[in-house]
Amino acid sequence: MRLSALRPVALLLTRELLFTALLLVGVSVVVFLILHLAPGDPFSLLLEDQMATAAVHVRQAAGDHGTWYGRYVTWLAHMVQGNFGTSIRTGLPVLGEIVRVGINTLYLTLGSMLVTLLMAVPIALSSSRHGTTLRNWPFTMFAYVVSALPVFWLSYVVIYFVLHKFGLFPILLGPSGDQKWISFLLPVLVLGIANGTVSEVVRHLQNEMSRVLAEDYIRTARAKGASVWAHAFKEGFLIPVTEIIAAKIPFILGGAVVVEQVFNWPGMGRMAWQAAQDRDYPVIMGIAIAAAVFVRAAALLQRVVYIMVNPRASHEESRSWGA
Amino acid sequence: MGRMKLYRQPSRQGYELGRLALLRAAAPWDLICVGYGLGIALLVVLSYILGALRLFPYDPQEMDLALMMARPGVGGHLLGTDFMGRDILSRLILGTQAYFLPGLLGITIALGAGTLLGVLAGYHGRTTDRAVTFAVNLIDSFPRLVLILLMIAAFKPGIYYIMVVVGITNVPTVASLIRGKIQFLRDKSFIEAAVAIGLNARTIILKHILWYNCRSLLIIQATLGMAEAILIETSLSYLGFGVQEPAPSWGNMVLSGANYLLQGKFWLSTTPALAILVTILGFHLLGDGLNNILEVGGKK
Repeated sequence: MRLSALRPVALLLTRELLFTALLLVGVSVVVFLILHLAPGDPFSLLLEDQMATAAVHVRQAAGDHGTWYGRYVTWLAHMVQGNFGTSIRTGLPVLGEIVRVGINTLYLTLGSMLVTLLMAVPIALSSSRHGTTLRNWPFTMFAYVVSALPVFWLSYVVIYFVLHKFGLFPILLGPSGDQKWISFLLPVLVLGIANGTVSEVVRHLQNEMSRVLAEDYIRTARAKGASVWAHAFKEGFLIPVTEIIAAKIPFILGGAVVVEQVFNWPGMGRMAWQAAQDRDYPVIMGIAIAAAVFVRAAALLQRVVYIMVNPRASHEESRSWGA
Repeated sequence: MGRMKLYRQPSRQGYELGRLALLRAAAPWDLICVGYGLGIALLVVLSYILGALRLFPYDPQEMDLALMMARPGVGGHLLGTDFMGRDILSRLILGTQAYFLPGLLGITIALGAGTLLGVLAGYHGRTTDRAVTFAVNLIDSFPRLVLILLMIAAFKPGIYYIMVVVGITNVPTVASLIRGKIQFLRDKSFIEAAVAIGLNARTIILKHILWYNCRSLLIIQATLGMAEAILIETSLSYLGFGVQEPAPSWGNMVLSGANYLLQGKFWLSTTPALAILVTILGFHLLGDGLNNILEVGGKK
């Protein structure tokens, strides 16, 4: 590939990066405005019966002064330096806590995305090859039923069957009571099955694949005896899969809040739940921003794959609007 | 009169098929899906009306300590009783109150704001399109449940305000669909003709684009929106931020029954869970079935 051919790609990537940066600034403004508009603040909860002077002291110690845009700039400057403030409940720095539990959520989210894809891809490929027939209709139906399952109930059922009915406690817990790897697998499986996106993933992949299979270049490939799969892979599989992953990451993060709650999983979702209970502003704010960064990173990755794979991307002006 | 309408060929709408022919051309499973979905939707509306009129088999709040956790069918309780001896069927019926009207509010906001943004982005120039793209991507950056938890921490809002947030988070989907449709239709000859005979932009957008060509799309999004409203409401009630005991919601019924599930009394949480499953499934199938029949089938 000549160097000049890379220029439009580099240009596009720069634009995507700029767009992502701009969106993250927008995210920080939205989060800040929500918390700024909130009636009262966490300190009024903490200091309910204290003297007013104490409140002033605590607020000043927490850096709470000036006009709202002044506070926003200070706040943003702190965040850029990695200072997300300290949790009102535990007094620990928020960023460190989020990084600590964020790894667990990342593992849970990516793992369950993989489980979802493992279920959805075969169903989608089968029905895009043969159309909806009497034989694969039950599988499509199965995808729909699974997507409508309330994830919290499925968690309980799984816990009931694995722990109580089959008495699999010895497998889950080692002799010294430490949890074994299989107990990390259960939440991933449950969230992967019942995160409510399976039917949409099937639908998207199936639509895209059958559209591509009807294209002229696939017919040409078939006519000259080349592999249809190899020709359809990029446009009919790789792009839709990355598209749907990027589009469904926020949804799965939401499901993670529920699943982490049931399984006592030490992740961001559980932390968000606790913070919402306590009105722990710095924590919930940090989590919202961390989640948005995660979502934008996935979207950016999807765009990169799209630009790399699709030679027409550099001629396109309009951005894709998600799945 | 209704029959006459069925046979009318709405040729100026750009359909090649009449309504009845559209049904005849539809795949049988799509019809099954739509039929099932319509049945469920009807059941939800009926439950809502029954709940509003306070017509229940039993009083949903009345405790019967002699009949705690009765199995389905015992003592005249069709679906059994919960851990306080309250009739589960009556509580399921009353539980539709928790999401039905708030869900409609969320749908209205999503459709209204989404259509507005979609029309602006699709019909107007590039600058508007970019601004709308930015706004839509900004909304899409937040996981919905995290945004709602942020709202709960900040405002302690009621279910209606939460559904406003849900509606806003659904705006991107509707906006992108409307935008795509308008960009597809903009160069069609019937729009050019409408411009040529001097119709103003408002008539063209409202009548010829939105009413004739985006109607079915909006109905489909409305049914999918109801499924999402149920999902959010039950999840929040399950997490303890929604409807509080003793008022029933399908979410908190699953939660309060879950402890007894581990004791083998499965129907306490399984019945509301099945209600959630069957209802969300119904709205999904209704939306996707209608989509296959009206949008995909109508174009062929």
